[in-house]
Amino acid sequence: VTDVIDGGAEAATSAEVVVPSVDVAPESQAVGWRHRHLLDVDRLSTADLDLVMRTADAMREVLARPIAKVPALRGRNVTLLFYEASTRTRVSFEVAARNLSADVVNIAASASSVTKGESLVDTVRTVEALGAQLLVMRHGVSGAPYLAAEVFGGSVLNGGDGWHAHPTQALLDLYTLRAHLPDGSVAGRKIVILGDVLHSRVARSNIWTLTAAGADLWLCGPATLLRGFEAWAGRGAAAGRRFNVTASIDEALRDADAVMALRIQRERMASGLLPSLREYAARYGLTAPRLALAKPGALVMHPGPMNEGVEIAPDVAAGAQSVITDQVTNGVAIRMAVLYLLAGATRG
Amino acid sequence: MTDLDLSRVWLVDPAVGREGPGELVVRDGILEAVTWLDESDGEGVDAAGVVVAPGFIDLHAHLREPGNEDAETVATGLRAAAHGGFTTVCAMPNTTPALDEPGVLAAIRAAAAASGSPVELLAYGAVTVGRAGEALAALGELADAGVVGFSDDGAPVRSASILRNALAYAGALGLPIVDHPEDATQTEGAEANDGFIATVLGLRGWSASAEETAVARDQAILADVCRDVPGARLHLTHVSTAGALELIRRGKAAGLPVTCDVTPHHLALTDEWVAGARRFAWEARTDGDPWRDEAIVAPPYASSLRVNPPLRTPADALACLAVLADGAADAIATDHAPHTEVDKAVEFGSASTGISGIETALGLVLAAVDAGHLTLARAIEALTVGPAAILGRTRGLVEGAPADLVVFDRSERWTVTADALQSKGKNSPLFGLELSGRVLLTMAAGRVAYEAPISVSA
Repeated sequence: VTDVIDGGAEAATSAEVVVPSVDVAPESQAVGWRHRHLLDVDRLSTADLDLVMRTADAMREVLARPIAKVPALRGRNVTLLFYEASTRTRVSFEVAARNLSADVVNIAASASSVTKGESLVDTVRTVEALGAQLLVMRHGVSGAPYLAAEVFGGSVLNGGDGWHAHPTQALLDLYTLRAHLPDGSVAGRKIVILGDVLHSRVARSNIWTLTAAGADLWLCGPATLLRGFEAWAGRGAAAGRRFNVTASIDEALRDADAVMALRIQRERMASGLLPSLREYAARYGLTAPRLALAKPGALVMHPGPMNEGVEIAPDVAAGAQSVITDQVTNGVAIRMAVLYLLAGATRG
Repeated sequence: MTDLDLSRVWLVDPAVGREGPGELVVRDGILEAVTWLDESDGEGVDAAGVVVAPGFIDLHAHLREPGNEDAETVATGLRAAAHGGFTTVCAMPNTTPALDEPGVLAAIRAAAAASGSPVELLAYGAVTVGRAGEALAALGELADAGVVGFSDDGAPVRSASILRNALAYAGALGLPIVDHPEDATQTEGAEANDGFIATVLGLRGWSASAEETAVARDQAILADVCRDVPGARLHLTHVSTAGALELIRRGKAAGLPVTCDVTPHHLALTDEWVAGARRFAWEARTDGDPWRDEAIVAPPYASSLRVNPPLRTPADALACLAVLADGAADAIATDHAPHTEVDKAVEFGSASTGISGIETALGLVLAAVDAGHLTLARAIEALTVGPAAILGRTRGLVEGAPADLVVFDRSERWTVTADALQSKGKNSPLFGLELSGRVLLTMAAGRVAYEAPISVSA
């Protein structure tokens, strides 16, 4: 059953990664990508991750050209179905798809359509009837893209679902880390995800990819925003996915190689998870003195959009150690890579 | 009228505490003779073949009529019950309108009569008017009309003082309060059992403590009330956590008039199923990681698995089996909760809670029996005399009475499919699964309520 949804467990495991020639259509060459959809990163093998990274390298090269465009997805319809407001991710996907010469359809589904009366299944069938072949979907409910994948005839690319997953963000984070860390590897590097882990699909997806890549991963935040992660760490460890969970920011940041701050949202106060934003900023904000606990030159990351002065100090966000704008550029390359690989798998 | 001759079958009659090879004769719908064979005559007959037991009683089913006949009607619900081996069904009052006054009871009784089904329909009345949790419903009038207890199921009785009054008032009427133990302040927006699986899937955690707090509260109030009202009785339904079951065990040990039931899905399935695993609780590794041991064989977030209380951990499911085995749990109840396709073909978190389970109950329970977690006799007891006692009745293979029995083949396997279910509710997470113990015949009130397409060799 998984095969129907995911393309299967028999995904590329070979260490031999063949980097596709991204100037031509993906179906014209043998690329070792077996996943029909990208709904989560939990099933990606290290070879899969490598293929995405290498394909993104090729896309970065495209982006560096005077005319940053290849005809690879000419005639393909990429539909962006966003149930949640998002500027960055939507625009990033749109730019990525256009760079591949795809036709892009944008649908901003209002939040009200999530409620009863207009079902997701119906919407997905409609966009398919309108010609969608690759469906990039963002949705506020965890797992919604799996429901879409059940009924959609093409490929579904999860652009973020509820608290669950944000695959392309985790892939671009891994890509950015590899680009900036010495040796180009995250293996053994201490990487900290700081902040509202509980509500974060970015944190969840990064747990899968960074532990797969061998990072020494630390999750840090107020105890209320780490709920359930100790349980995950305990069970994941048995499976070789080790990470640490702590409410102590000093312990987390000490000798870190990279720190990823997460956005903190105002709603969290209303639900009694935090006393105040001020207190959060004082205790968990990524400030220059705190960053000094990390290794010299430790990377500073943020998936955006930032609340400067809350989870991250403006001088840190704009400082020399920040690779935040690079994350944005890499996001386009990663999304080009994933769209390209999925387009190849669709007809495979 | 119906005649039936069954020879050399495995009889299970918890009313007399006996199981073994035997013969059974029904003439004109009356159970004329039940004969237990001695060792030599019964040679070669075992519990792996055709089994005959008293008809099952379901303490907890949602028949959806009136108000949501797209999901189920009294007629289809009773048909489904018969297919599951049940001959008595207690309908929950969370209909629209709620069964909070005798008129609604009369209406569903009329529907049962019109259905022609011999399956007995019993009903609970609501504890509060409109199940709104504010004012006591017409408990006395409902009792006079024949309800078998009171419940606001679907929701707990939120107010502790209302619960206190209800326990006292219903106790004086000789009827139990059937509470759905859930502290709603801890479950707002909750989607899946709090823990590893929910965290990974990004689902809002539904804590065990929400159930345990409610059980502790209910029992504390009961302890108080039953000092003044000797007839006060509390029945806790679909108890799902090891901690809640332990609290009930202690309550019983302290002499509290409390009883409880567990559901087939909570004793056999776990939260791993939400992640896409499809192994029974006793096959799971509580320290393991289903992503690692390749247990995940289906897509995650199947909305058919969204249920209240949520599917718990393997340890909780094993605790449900343990309390059934040692008698601390009184009954198995299905919490049959049919829903329409429209209410289930949505995102996991938006889906209505509930499993259409009255037809798969026996199969899941027998799977636990096959795995050695329960004896067949105890399983049947929890489906018959256990719930009967809570209703103040008995249930057994009684000579001279109208036949009320189920005949099933332990070794015959059937595949759960939408078409195989008689219920309108096709919201089962078990599609594609093979269960053993196909029901061949169900007789209620001396009439055939269900007969398998292949006739019984008599």
